[in-house]
Order: sequence, then structure tokens, then C-alpha cells
Amino acid sequence: MAALAAMSEEPPSDPLARLGERIDEAQANARVGRNPAQKSGGTPGLQQGLALGLRIGVELVTAVVVSVAVGWAIDRWLGTRPWVMLVMFFLGIAAGMLNVYRAVTGTGGAVGFRRPPPQHAGAPPQKRNWDDEEC
Amino acid sequence: MTIALHPLAQFTVETILPLRIGRLNISFTNAALMMAIVVCLITGIIVYGTRRAALVPGRLQSLAEMSYEFVADMVESNVGHEGMPYFPFIFTLFTFILFANLLGLIPWAFSVTGQIVVTFAMAAVVFIGVTIIGFIRHGLHFLRFFAPEGVPKLLLVILVPIEVISYFIRPFTLSIRLFANMLAGHTMLGIFAGFAALIGVFAIFPIAIDVVLLALELLVAVLQAYVFAILSCLYLNDAIHMH
Repeated sequence: MAALAAMSEEPPSDPLARLGERIDEAQANARVGRNPAQKSGGTPGLQQGLALGLRIGVELVTAVVVSVAVGWAIDRWLGTRPWVMLVMFFLGIAAGMLNVYRAVTGTGGAVGFRRPPPQHAGAPPQKRNWDDEEC
Repeated sequence: MTIALHPLAQFTVETILPLRIGRLNISFTNAALMMAIVVCLITGIIVYGTRRAALVPGRLQSLAEMSYEFVADMVESNVGHEGMPYFPFIFTLFTFILFANLLGLIPWAFSVTGQIVVTFAMAAVVFIGVTIIGFIRHGLHFLRFFAPEGVPKLLLVILVPIEVISYFIRPFTLSIRLFANMLAGHTMLGIFAGFAALIGVFAIFPIAIDVVLLALELLVAVLQAYVFAILSCLYLNDAIHMH
């Protein structure tokens, strides 16, 4: 009600122009970086934690299984029975570990990749804003 | 009877309308039917929900707008503004998986995402697409991906194969995660439902467990769609913002 009263008291000069200004302003704000406080969704921490937890196990197991399978296939193809499979087994473990480590340390799905550049002061790590950085 | 009680029987793909082109089997199956329903439902909700863009949105409109904003926000915060051209793809992926997961929970509905073919096809599209985007944007420089800077030459011998493996593992982890979660959840529901059919009055207990499990599966269904979409975003981010 207070807002309504305030609006009616203002001079009715060109409400559309003011609306346009407000939209521009809002869009500029949105581009600079979204305000985490106004984000809905209850508990983003829980959601992201669960999502991360569900990733980890599969990441480790799949790396080993797939690389052993590939090693086995190469062995069958080249007739070098256990050797390629053995090497691939250890490489698979390493790759799985690497993926898990990267997922946990927050480099995302990054592969062969340095850490993202330091965030702007105060920005939460999940809210990277790449616009301002040269790439 | 025993077949119907088998907890894995729900994953059988059955032909509804046999179709063949030469030796290619393109029969219309229950999986295809389910996917068609999913696509029609999503399109219906989005189109019907936004037919009159009211300033104060109704239920369907706010559903469409919320899902749009949720995915837009996810792309924006994980890939940045340059990722927005790929927003329609991520949105399609997210809504398709979400609806397939949720509709699969309805009794007697077929769970499409419980088929490794379906999830792997989606993961392969993501993987190949992201790799192509990476090469288009960075050319051969994209191969630096597998050889991090500042690593001693000797270590590269070990590190490069590991990096290559961990890169090519992506479509597998992406698809197996979704597939395994759906398979495990639905099998568990099927097992307890099978108990219920066998033990008469005491069926109340397995049914109670199924009710609780259904709530858990609801969470898993939404979360797995989210995980699939956000990982696609992260992979896209890698390809676009290679430093």
C-alpha cells in the first residue's frame, strides 16, 4: 500500500521511460554478478553438497573399470596378454583419483587444467564471474 | 507370474510397433513411447504455460519461468555469459532428464533413463560437442589440455596418459552415474514390491518401505538431472575458458 501511495504521489511524467531505466539498471546488476541473497532455492549448500557426493563414487569406479576394459581390448588386439591391462589399471586408478581430487578441490570437471584464477574478493567460489576476466 | 515379480522385468524393452528399414530395426518400443511422452509433456507445459505471458504468472507459467531461470542461472554461474549460446541445449538436456526420471517413477511407467543406451547417447553428444567446441575455439592449442604447464618433461610421460584417460572417461562417468542411480532405485522399489505381492497381510511393511524409498527416489531423480546438467556446464566451461 505504501508503495502504491508513493507511486501515485509522484508526478506522472513518462512512467514508461522510468520503467525502461529500471529494466536497464536491473539488467546491469544481473550482469555484474547476481546477488546470492536474492537467490531462491532454500539450501543451495545442501543441494551442491549432495550433487558433489553423488559424483565422487562413480568417478573413481568408472575410471578404473573403463580403463581396465580398454586395456583388455588392446591386449586382445595386440596379443600382449596381461601387460597393457596392468598398465591401464594403474593409470585408471590415477585418473580416477585425479578426477575426484579435482571435483573436491573445486576445479570442477577440469582436466589438465590449472586452478581457476583467484576470485574477486568476497565472491563465493561457486559464483564465478568470467565476464570481467580476460580469457 | 514369476516373470512379473522379477525386479528387473521393468527394464525390458518391448516392441509395440515393429518397423524395419532393410536390416535396421527401428521398431517403436515402450522406451520410444515414453520418450515421446516426455518430449510432448515438456513442450506442452512450456508452450501452454507461456501462451499468455501474464505479468503475474499463473501456475504453469511460473513453472516454465522457474525452470528457465534455474537453468539460465546455472549456465551463467558455471560457464559465464559466453555459455549462453549453449543454454537451449543444456535446458533441453535438463528438462528431458528431469521429466524422464520423474515420469519413470509412476508405477507401470517405463524408466527411460534406466537404459544405458539412452544415457550414454546423451553423454556422448555432450562429450563430442564439447570437444568440437574446444577445438573450434582454441584450435590445436586445445591439446595443451593434456599437458599442464610447468610440469617436468619426465613426469609428462606419466601425466599425459593419465590426463587423456581422465578426459575420455567423462562420457562414461556421466552416463553411468545417471543410469546406475536409476537402475538401482527402480530395482530396489521392484524388490520390495515383489515381497509385498508374496506375503499377504504383512505386505504393509514392504509397501511402507516402498513409500519411503519413493521419496528418496524423487530426490535422486531431481538431483541426477541437476548433476548431469551441471557437469555438462562444467565441461563446456573447460572447453570455452581454457587458460
